[in-house]
Amino acid sequence: MKEVHLHSNESFEQVFLNEPEVNLHIVQEADSRVKIYILNIPKDLRDPKDIRNNISVEHRGEGCRTEIYGLAFLHGEDRVTIETHVHHAVGCGSSEQLIKFVLDDRAKGSFLGELKIAPDAQKVEAHQTNRNLLLSDDAEMRTRPQLEIYADDVQATHGASTGQLDEAALFYMRQRGIGYEKARQLLVNAFMQDVLPEELVNTIDSEIE
Amino acid sequence: MNTLLEISNLHASIGGKEILKGVNLVINEGEVHAIMGPNGAGKSTLSAVLTGHPAYEVTEGTVLLRGENLLAMEPEVRARAGVFLSFQYPVEIPGVSMTNFMRTALNEKRAYEGKEPLSAKEFLSLMREKRKMLELADKLNNRSVNEGFSGGEKKKNEIFQMAMLEPALAILDETDSGLDIDALRIVAEGVNKLKTPHNASIVITHYQRLLDYIVPDFVHVLADGRIIKTGDKSLALELEDKGYEGIED
Repeated sequence: MKEVHLHSNESFEQVFLNEPEVNLHIVQEADSRVKIYILNIPKDLRDPKDIRNNISVEHRGEGCRTEIYGLAFLHGEDRVTIETHVHHAVGCGSSEQLIKFVLDDRAKGSFLGELKIAPDAQKVEAHQTNRNLLLSDDAEMRTRPQLEIYADDVQATHGASTGQLDEAALFYMRQRGIGYEKARQLLVNAFMQDVLPEELVNTIDSEIE
Repeated sequence: MNTLLEISNLHASIGGKEILKGVNLVINEGEVHAIMGPNGAGKSTLSAVLTGHPAYEVTEGTVLLRGENLLAMEPEVRARAGVFLSFQYPVEIPGVSMTNFMRTALNEKRAYEGKEPLSAKEFLSLMREKRKMLELADKLNNRSVNEGFSGGEKKKNEIFQMAMLEPALAILDETDSGLDIDALRIVAEGVNKLKTPHNASIVITHYQRLLDYIVPDFVHVLADGRIIKTGDKSLALELEDKGYEGIED
């Protein structure tokens, strides 16, 4: 487990790309900023992955900003969990979480999103979104948002949805001559766009064959 | 004159319900065929079956595209072989850029024809040329496919794609629906400009008005899954006068 303690006004930005496991505990003092990407995009089906990622963040000072982006694109017998624990212990901070899973074959994904806003943590803005795409009948996704909000002057939203590729969009592309596999790839790439850091947005095509 | 499409005794169902009950149609190069008919007659089903939509099942009959078995081809292969559908309700595909989409489609077609893909420069130049033809705003090209397009822009975008792909057989499924008179003129002009002695089109419409702009060589009335009457463009006027019931005799 890696501990990161951000002092006042400090910032921490990191992209974890295909790391075996991410285990991070972050404490943020006033006005600090965190932006992390946890990306699991295995290139081939080697050994099936069985990974638990755990990110916890605590706003200890006011006015902090936290952004957590997660992506797990799983195949075969992969098992990946992304757990986030975001704790707004004090007010006037904001956090944003966007976690996406794309699951193929018999892969299993799990998201646990714990979000706590303490009783005195007023004027906090917290958003948690989990979107999942199932590409096969045997893929499974388990999603558990857990929100505990004790302050009353806050903006907190959460959303979780799991779906499949848009059949109409697939057919439209095929009708223009784009093969089924390529059409699927384009839709999956489109789905993943907003959880990727800028430098990976255009290169991701080569990562996924 | 070469035969482009030959539909023989085509029967097709969806969800177990038979919609097409023996359609026969021959389309030669250079021809424009209009298909009109009441709702539920099977007009959209015919487009879906010709383009290979997976929800439909062909239970009997054959369709030959230049003598080749069209029904045995996957939807993308039919497209590369020259079948194009201007959808009645074009779908939005957020996150897939119009440029990337078009380039992929065009290069797939070229590969099928044994041609090299277009260079980025050639491709962008072609996009610009065709966009101008359809009076499509430049700004729309940076968008995702059909995202945020108005109804009229979506229909123009269909014909823009047709202009880029230059299909042998274009099926226009109610291309005029939702268009104002200016958009209708632009779309129809676009379709007419793409006409050559070697391609053909099937224009599916409810209204005679479109056929003033895209003049058909043949008009067919499709009712209850079969073509019950065929005539020239005057049949469309007769339909407008008498209605479908006046024709079914």
